[in-house]
Amino acid sequence: MPPEEAVTFPSLENEDEEEQPYSFAVEYTGPPVPYDLPRAVPINVEKIPVATVVSKVPLSNTELHIPVVPPILAPDRNKLSKELLLQPTVSPTSVIAFEERVSEDTNNCLLSGELSSYESGELAELINNNDNSSRRLGACSVSNEHSSMLDYCDSFGKSRESSSRARVSNDDDLNQPDWGSNESVLSLDYPSSRVSSRKTGDCNNESNADIKRPQVVTFRDIESDDGLDEEFGQDEVQPQVARVKREPQTKGKKGSCYRCFKGNRFTEKEVCIVCDAKYCSNCVLGAMGSMPEGRKCVTCIGFPIDEAKRGSLGKCSRMLKRLFIDLEVRQIMKAEKLCEANQLPPEYICVNGQPLCHEELAILQSCPIPPKKLKPGNYWYDKVSGLWGKEGQKPSMIISPHLNVGGSIRPDASSGNTQIFINGREITKVELRMLQLAGVQVAGNPHFWVNEDGSYQEEGQKNMKGYIWGKAGMKLVCAVLSLPVPSKSSNPGGELLNSMSGRSVPDYLEQRILQKILLVGSTGSGSSTIFKQAKILYKDVPFSEDERENIKLTIQSNVYGYLGILLEGRERFEEESLAEMRKRACSKDTDPEGSIDDGDGKTIYSIGLRLKEFSDWLLKTMVSGHLETIFLAATREYAPLIEELWKDAAIQATYNRRSELEMLPSVASYYLERAVEILKMDYEPSDLDILYAEGVTSSNGLACVDFSFPQSLCDENIGTADQHDSLLRYQLIRVQARGLGENCKWLEMFEDIGMVIFCVALSDYDQFSADGTNKMLLSRKFFESIVTHPTFDQMDFLLILNKFDQFEEKVEQVPLTRCEWFDDFHPLISRHRTNTNSNSINNNPTHGQLAFHYIAVKFKRLYSSLTGRKLYVSLLKGLEPKSVDAALKFAREILKWDEERANFSLSEHSFYSTEASSFSH
Amino acid sequence: MSVAELKERHAAATETMNNLRERLRQRRQQLLDTDVAGYASSHGRTPVTFGPTDLVCCRTLQGHTGKVYSLDWTPERNRIVSASQDGRLIVWNSLTSQKTHAIKLPCAWVMTCAFSPTSQSVACGGLDSMCSIFNLNSPTDRDGNLPVSKTLSGHKGYVSCCQYVPDEDIHIITSSGDRTCVLWDITTGLRTSVFGGEFQSGHTADVLSVSINGSNSRMFVSGSCDATARLWDTRAASRAVRTFHGHEGDVNTVKFFPDGNRFGTGSDDGTCRLFDIRTGHQLQVYYQQPSDNEVPHVTSIAFSISGRLLFAGYSNGDCYVWDTLLARVVLNLGSLQNSHDSRISCLGLSADGSALCTGSWDTNLKIWAFGGYRKVI
Repeated sequence: MPPEEAVTFPSLENEDEEEQPYSFAVEYTGPPVPYDLPRAVPINVEKIPVATVVSKVPLSNTELHIPVVPPILAPDRNKLSKELLLQPTVSPTSVIAFEERVSEDTNNCLLSGELSSYESGELAELINNNDNSSRRLGACSVSNEHSSMLDYCDSFGKSRESSSRARVSNDDDLNQPDWGSNESVLSLDYPSSRVSSRKTGDCNNESNADIKRPQVVTFRDIESDDGLDEEFGQDEVQPQVARVKREPQTKGKKGSCYRCFKGNRFTEKEVCIVCDAKYCSNCVLGAMGSMPEGRKCVTCIGFPIDEAKRGSLGKCSRMLKRLFIDLEVRQIMKAEKLCEANQLPPEYICVNGQPLCHEELAILQSCPIPPKKLKPGNYWYDKVSGLWGKEGQKPSMIISPHLNVGGSIRPDASSGNTQIFINGREITKVELRMLQLAGVQVAGNPHFWVNEDGSYQEEGQKNMKGYIWGKAGMKLVCAVLSLPVPSKSSNPGGELLNSMSGRSVPDYLEQRILQKILLVGSTGSGSSTIFKQAKILYKDVPFSEDERENIKLTIQSNVYGYLGILLEGRERFEEESLAEMRKRACSKDTDPEGSIDDGDGKTIYSIGLRLKEFSDWLLKTMVSGHLETIFLAATREYAPLIEELWKDAAIQATYNRRSELEMLPSVASYYLERAVEILKMDYEPSDLDILYAEGVTSSNGLACVDFSFPQSLCDENIGTADQHDSLLRYQLIRVQARGLGENCKWLEMFEDIGMVIFCVALSDYDQFSADGTNKMLLSRKFFESIVTHPTFDQMDFLLILNKFDQFEEKVEQVPLTRCEWFDDFHPLISRHRTNTNSNSINNNPTHGQLAFHYIAVKFKRLYSSLTGRKLYVSLLKGLEPKSVDAALKFAREILKWDEERANFSLSEHSFYSTEASSFSH
Repeated sequence: MSVAELKERHAAATETMNNLRERLRQRRQQLLDTDVAGYASSHGRTPVTFGPTDLVCCRTLQGHTGKVYSLDWTPERNRIVSASQDGRLIVWNSLTSQKTHAIKLPCAWVMTCAFSPTSQSVACGGLDSMCSIFNLNSPTDRDGNLPVSKTLSGHKGYVSCCQYVPDEDIHIITSSGDRTCVLWDITTGLRTSVFGGEFQSGHTADVLSVSINGSNSRMFVSGSCDATARLWDTRAASRAVRTFHGHEGDVNTVKFFPDGNRFGTGSDDGTCRLFDIRTGHQLQVYYQQPSDNEVPHVTSIAFSISGRLLFAGYSNGDCYVWDTLLARVVLNLGSLQNSHDSRISCLGLSADGSALCTGSWDTNLKIWAFGGYRKVI
C-alpha cells in the first residue's frame, strides 16, 4: 500500500467520512492543500509490516501452521504439491481408531439388523432418533393410529421433530468460533494435486492407500460393511452399473485434516459425504462452506454422494452443532436429506430384475411401510404379500403390498430349493422352517397364496386356511429365524391413501426457513409502494401478464376517477365564478359588457354541450359507484373524447387550481398529465406507472411476495459468509389497514411472523382526514393499537418513515408544529446552510433530516413507553428502489440479529445504544 | 339538493330509526314474559344428564402443524375437511382417522372451509379475499398438489365463512370482511347476489359467519361484528328480512336450529343466544358466569340432531354442552380427559348426529361420540 496515496487530501476525506464524522475536514472548502497532512504517515507505516509478515510465513514454513491462509498459497501451486509429496505415505491399516470401536459397538446391537457403522456422534444420534420414533409410535397407538398415519405424521411433523432432536443434544452453543474469517477463504480453489483417497470401510484389505485409484470404479455394494452381510456371504449379484467416484483433491498424512494437515486420527473430524475427505473443526467451514447440500466439500457440491454414507445422511455430528447455531444445523441436515443430488438414484435399484424409474422409487419410498435403509442393489418383491428381500436371499421385511414397482416376481428370486412356493416364489429353508412352526401343512410341496395380513390359501382352492402369523409365539419364532413379521400397524382393508398425501413434499426449497415480514401501514402511507418496489426489485417477473392487465385497468379507472374529481371541481368553480359575475353584474349594472357576459352564463370553466354530457354521465356513474363495472366499455367509447376534454380550456383552468381540490390525491397529476395516453386502448403501464398507481395491491386485502435477496446486490466485501443468506427466503406480507381495528379477529393469524414493518408517511403531518383529525395523529393511534396488539407481544418493529422526499420539500414551507404532537420541535438551524448535498448528512443536517430525527425519536419514545423495548426506525423514499432495498436489508439485519441475539446475550447492552437503532442513509 | 341539507336529513333519519328501534326493543321486552328455560322448568322438565362415559373423545386427528381454524363434515357422515394455519386443507376419514387428501393452499391464511353436498369438492376462503374450490377427484400436479378448480373472487375483504347451498354443488354462500354476504354460482364463478354492502341495508361491520336453513335453503342467517345477526332471503338480496339485536359483542358464529325456525348465535360477549326467525324474538340466553373475570368469547356453536343440546366452543379452551331447554351446562368437554390444550376454534356435528368434531388451536381435531345407551341426542 503506497503511503503517498493515502495521504493525499481527497481520499483522506473519504476515509474519514466512512468512519467518523470529522466535521472540520468537511468545512474546509478551499482549494486542495499542496502539502501533506503530518498525521497520516505514521498510520500507514504501521500497516505495511503487518501485511508482509503474514504473507511470508506460509511460504517459508513447510509445516503450514496457519490454517486460514490458503488463499495466499493458491498462486504457488508447485511448491505446495511438492510439499505434499514430501509427506510420508499413509500406512494402509490405520483406520481411525474410534471408528473401529464404534462399528464393533454397532455389531453388538445388530439384532435389529439395520444399523450400519456410524461415527460415535452419529450413533448417539441414531439412538436418539430411535427413541423419538418409538415415542411417536407410542403416541400413535394411544390414539388408534395406523402405520400409514405414522408415516404421514412424520412428514408433517418433520420440522418439529428435527428441532427437538437438535435441541436434545445441543449443549454448547456459546463457544461459537469466528466463522466469518474462516468462510472468507471458502471460495478459493485448492491446489489440485491428485492424491488418492481412503475408504473408511474397505481399506483394510487394500495394500497401498496412496496409489492412484482409477477414475472409474465399478459399483461397490455398500452392504459389504453392513454386519448383516456376513451371514449372507459376499457372492451376491453385483448390479452392472459403473459410477464415477469422486476423490478428495488434497490429502495429508494419515489421520490428519485434509486441509490444514494437522491433527492426528484422534481429533474429531467431519467427513465429506461425496469424496470422503476429512476436515478438522477449524477447517470444516472453510472446506465445506455453507453446505447447501449438506456435508460436502465445496468442490463436491452437485455430485452424488458416496452410497456408503447414505445411512448417515441428515444425522448431525457433534462438531456441526458446535460450529453452527441450532437453526443452521437443522437447515443443513434438511438440505442434506432432501436435496436432489443426494437422493438415491433409482436406476441402481432393481426390483424383480427391473431397474426402477423415478416414479417407482417415489412410490416405493412413500408407501406406508417402505423398505428400510433402501440401498442400491437387486431386490425381489412379492406384490401380494408385501414380502421384500435381496435377490437370492430370504425375505428381510414386509413392506406395503400391491405397489406397482419393478417386474413380476421370479420363482427363483430367493434361490430357494424347498419346492414349496409362496405367491410363485420358491421359498428358502428358513421360511419352510417357519411355516412348519406356524403349523402350516407343507406336505406334498404345496403352492400357497399369502395375503398381506398373513392369511394363506393353497393355490386353486377357495377357502382360507388360516393366518401364518396369527399363532401366538410366531413373532418370537420369526425373530429367532430373523424373518420379518407384518408390522402391527399395517392396515388391511383400510382405504388406499392418495399417493401424495402419504408423503411430504420433496422439494427441498419448500423446506427452507421462510422469514415472514408483515408490512402494515395506514392508507396513503405508501406501504403498497414498498410492496410493489420489493416485487420489482427481487422478482425476475414482478408482474405476470394477468396482473399487468389488471393493473392497467386499475390505473385507467383511477384516471377516470381523477377526471371525475376534476369535472366536479369544474362545476364548483363554474358556479362560484358565475355567482361572482352575477354579483359583479349587480354592482356594475350599467356596464354593458358585463351584462352580455352574464347573459351567456359563460366563464372560463364552462364546457361544450357534448363534453357536458360526458361529464354528467361520468359523475353520475361515479356517484352510483359503478365506475369499475362500466369503465371498460367507456375506454372504448370515450377514448377520443378524453383528448378533447383534457385539451379543453375549462379543464386546464380547473387543473391549474387542483390544489383546491381536496379529493384529488397528489399522484393524480402524474397520471392526469398523461391522461390521453393512458386511456388509450393499447396502453402498457410502465414500472413507474405501477409504482405510482393507487389500489393495485390493496384490491384483495392481503398480498404476499416471496423473495430472497439476490447475491449480486450484496457488497463484495461481505463475501461468502452471506452466501447462504442469499438462499434464505423472505416473505413480505402486506395487509390492508382497513379492518385492522383494536378488535381485529384475524391479526392473530400472524403469530409466526418474524417482524412487523410499520409504515408512516412523514408528509402526513399537515394533512387532515375527512373528520378533521390530523393524519399523523391517526397514524400514531393506529401504531399504538398495532404495537399493543397481543399477537405482536415481544415482536420486533421496524418503523419506516416514508415519503421523505415530499416531506423535505414540505417542511420548508409548512412548519412541523402544524401537527400538535410535534409542537415542541424547535430545530437549531445552522446559519450557513450548504446546498442539499448528500455528502453533508453527518455534518450539517438539513431541516428535513432534523425533523425526521425528531419524529423518529417521538415514535421511539412512544414505543418504549408502550412496550419497554427499542424501536428500529428507517427513512425511506418509496419511489426510489435503492432506498427500499436498503430498508428491507435493514429489516433482514434485524431478523438476523434477532436470531443471533441469544448467542450474544451477555454483551447485549453494549450493542444496544439508544441511537444505534436508527438508520439513515 | 346541497350536501349540508342531505347531511341534515340523514341525521334526522338516523335519529328516527334509532327511536323506532328503541321502541321496538321495549315492545319486545313487554311481550317476552318468559324465556325457554323458564317455561321448560315451570313444566317440570329436567336437564339432560351425562355420565362420565356418555360423551367421550374417541379419535384425535393429528396432522396439522398450525392452528385449526375451520372444519366441516360431509353429508354422508364419515369425512371431515379441516383448514389450518399451516396453509393446508386436510380431508379425513373420521372413522379411521386417515387422511385422504392434503391440499396445499396458495394462500396460507385460511379461515374457513366447507364440504360440498355431494362430497366431490371442498371450498375454502381466507385473507386472500377469495373463495377457492378444489375438486377432490382432479388429478394432482407435478408437485403432488391438488390444483384449484375455481376461484370465486370479488370480495373486497377477507372471506370469513362459506357454506354450500344444500342439495346442489353449484351454489355457495360466503361471508366477508367487506360487510357483505355473496351467493355464488360456482360453474360460472360469478356473483349471483350480494347481500348488504354500501348502498343496501346490510351489516355495518365485518360479517363473520353464515348458516343456511336446513329445511328451506333459500333462507340464511349471518352474524357480524356489528353485534347483530341478519336473516336473508336469497331471492331478495336488496335488504335483510330481519335484523336480530341483542348481543353486546361481535357475533362470531351463527347456526340454524335443526327445525329451521330458530337459530343460535355465539358472540364475543360470552353468550350464546337462541332467536326465532318468525317472531324475531330472542328466546334464550346461554351464559355462565366465568370463575375469573375474563369472559371467554364463544368461537363456534353446533346443535345436536334433535336440538336439545347446544355445543359451544370458547376461546379459553372450554367446550360447554348446553341443555337448550333449561339453559344449563350439562357437560364441559374442556374439562374431560384428553381434551384440547388450547382454544376451540370450530365445532361440527356429523350429519347423522352421532359424533361431534372439534378443532383447536393446539393443531388437533378430536372426534367425540356418544357412548352408553344413547347413540344420538
